[in-house]
Amino acid sequence: MGIEPGRIHFSWVSSAESTKFVDVVKKVTSEVKALGPNKRFVKKKAKVA
Amino acid sequence: MSDWEPKIVSFLCNWCSYGAADLAGVSRMQYPSNIRVIRIPCTGRMSPKFALSALREGADGVWVSG
Amino acid sequence: MIGYIDKIKEISKGLLEEKKVDMIIGFRKGTVPMINEPCVAKTSADVDNFVWDSSCGINLANYLTGRKEKIGIIAKGCDSRNIVNHIIENKINREQLTIIGVPCKGMVDRSKVKALVSSDIEEVIEKEDTMVISGADFEKTVKTSDVISKNCTICMHRNPVIFDELVAEEVDEQKDVNRYEDIDKIEAMDSGEKWNYFEDMFKSCIRCYACRNACPLCYCPTCFVDESKPQWVGKSQDPIDIWTFHFLRAYHCAGRCTDCGACVRACPMDIDVRLLTKKLEKDCFEMFNWEAGLSIDKRPPLDVFNADDPDGFIK
Repeated sequence: MGIEPGRIHFSWVSSAESTKFVDVVKKVTSEVKALGPNKRFVKKKAKVA
Repeated sequence: MSDWEPKIVSFLCNWCSYGAADLAGVSRMQYPSNIRVIRIPCTGRMSPKFALSALREGADGVWVSG
Repeated sequence: MIGYIDKIKEISKGLLEEKKVDMIIGFRKGTVPMINEPCVAKTSADVDNFVWDSSCGINLANYLTGRKEKIGIIAKGCDSRNIVNHIIENKINREQLTIIGVPCKGMVDRSKVKALVSSDIEEVIEKEDTMVISGADFEKTVKTSDVISKNCTICMHRNPVIFDELVAEEVDEQKDVNRYEDIDKIEAMDSGEKWNYFEDMFKSCIRCYACRNACPLCYCPTCFVDESKPQWVGKSQDPIDIWTFHFLRAYHCAGRCTDCGACVRACPMDIDVRLLTKKLEKDCFEMFNWEAGLSIDKRPPLDVFNADDPDGFIK
């Protein structure tokens, strides 16, 4: 629907898998970083004078 | 924008990934500080409205982990 | 299809007179052409108001939610699938219902008919396979099958899947239709094109919530759009609020939508809101081989977990 596919991630990490957790954090962060800031699905804040 | 860092809202299950995050912390592992963790009682608590709300309010990414 | 009405009335009167049901939900002639209105008959005299033609597109399953009475209901293919949904979701008991099944050849799309003429349509008279549309300065005959709704043209379940009485012989089910033509087209776009496509599509939305109100799946006591603490969706015409409403509504219908088209018919701005629910319907079909509302014995895919789930991350 037009939100970039890499913005939303799903994964499954057991509570014993701290290394996998770190790997997934790195992967998610780098993918979102590659997409750049979220400009589409953001509600513009009303400007208060 | 070279120093831009994404904000990633992470919904972590209390029993799985939240535990993993805790263990990663206790084990002094290094990981990117871009994630903002929200603990949910179970991934079953997750709803599409959480993900959309996060983006609406300006998050750059959403990560759901069970 | 117009020939069905005598049989519908006969069955309905029989059910009411034998006191098998307290009421029958059917259609009566609407106040504007091409929209018949839902109508509840409690006596045989009420049944005389019933009509049946190609303008009975409203999904009657919508009126069953939480009812306690014994109800007779007239059901097309899609209505019957939504009745199955209601039974699965414990919104009504099978024992309360007497379903009068109506094989269906598709319901008319008002905007298609309106596009054929230049001024207001005042009257539509339906014959066996044609419709005579007339207004102040014109009269025109069209083939009914040329003006049926998009979702009806790709319908694979024209006959009721669950019924107690059937008013006519079952019609042939359609084969060789590409149900997902529209969706394939959107899927082929890249995310920027998709964004522009939907931006354009939803820009006319006035947030009247007619799609939600017409939808038999939308029966939550408090809809997320009406919640204020926390407020998930702003009340404004902000595009992001409009999108949030449509996306979330579509997600709530995942694995439940029968593609009855009630949302599109209800839309005063002619927005094709079906595209979102259809995509989710396609996903359910491809991932879980699931079509909503076909059997009261099967649980929907989002209710159950199977070890052979198609998504790798969850194993």
